Amino acid sequence: MKARVSEPWVEAPLQRFADEARVTFALLLQPSGQVLGQFGFTRAMDVMAACSLAAAINVTAAQLGRELDGTPFRELHHAGRERELFIAEANTARGPLVLLAAFGDESSLGLVRLYFRELCTALANAAPAVAPAPSAAGRVDLGENLERDLDHSLAILFGRARPDPEGMLSVPSSIPPA
Amino acid sequence: MSTTQFTGLITALTRQRGVLGCLVVSERDGIVVDADVRAGVDAAAVAALAAALYRRARLCSEAAGLSTVSFLQLESEHGQICAAGRDDLVAVVVAEAGAPVAQLRTVILQSVDSLV
Repeated sequence: MKARVSEPWVEAPLQRFADEARVTFALLLQPSGQVLGQFGFTRAMDVMAACSLAAAINVTAAQLGRELDGTPFRELHHAGRERELFIAEANTARGPLVLLAAFGDESSLGLVRLYFRELCTALANAAPAVAPAPSAAGRVDLGENLERDLDHSLAILFGRARPDPEGMLSVPSSIPPA
Repeated sequence: MSTTQFTGLITALTRQRGVLGCLVVSERDGIVVDADVRAGVDAAAVAALAAALYRRARLCSEAAGLSTVSFLQLESEHGQICAAGRDDLVAVVVAEAGAPVAQLRTVILQSVDSLV
């Protein structure tokens, strides 16, 4: 199975993580909930829901860590009956990214943590050094264009739009529905 | 250094000649329960990969109708990894190439009974 991405620089690291850690699902997103890449999902709606929940869980866990420990929790693991969930942040030149991974008997928490470490290094090395420049159609400013950016990322992921040649997000004039 | 229920097992194994480290690992989670390893041995990585290897070996052995795995040895160019488990816990030993395997095997198998 191939990882699908809205920004090309995350493809190789995410694919390697998914293959090596043998996860069932993986999502790479910005803390705002904007998806950058996914592995294992077949429906845009599922990605959208998972991104929203992952972003909410991440920010909640970070705040809970600050309240309890004075520093954000680094990662979160939930062991379900059949599937387990792992959420953690990776720091890149483009800012922090959130990884959500679901795995079953084929993998383990230790393997997911191990390959997450490699994913962090690979993302840090692959991340474009500069933040995306404002485009003619719209600025990459999540405050103003968050909803359109979320829709556009999903559209790229599911083949309904193309990423910019530089691999940065831009806002098209018409956005296909998610 | 604090002592745990596995301190005796780990001490007995790390005392053997050529041993670079010993870990008690959860087979299901692949994470370190207790360990004593020399600098340069990535305990978290060894735990995750050795647990996965041991689990696959156990499933393979069971699928072949050979019952459970009693002892697993992996020989590499510069050393070896030995493992034996009980229930969900696996004792993993990282040793130099010249370490006496027969002796290590005996000690590991004797120690495994204390993995509860």
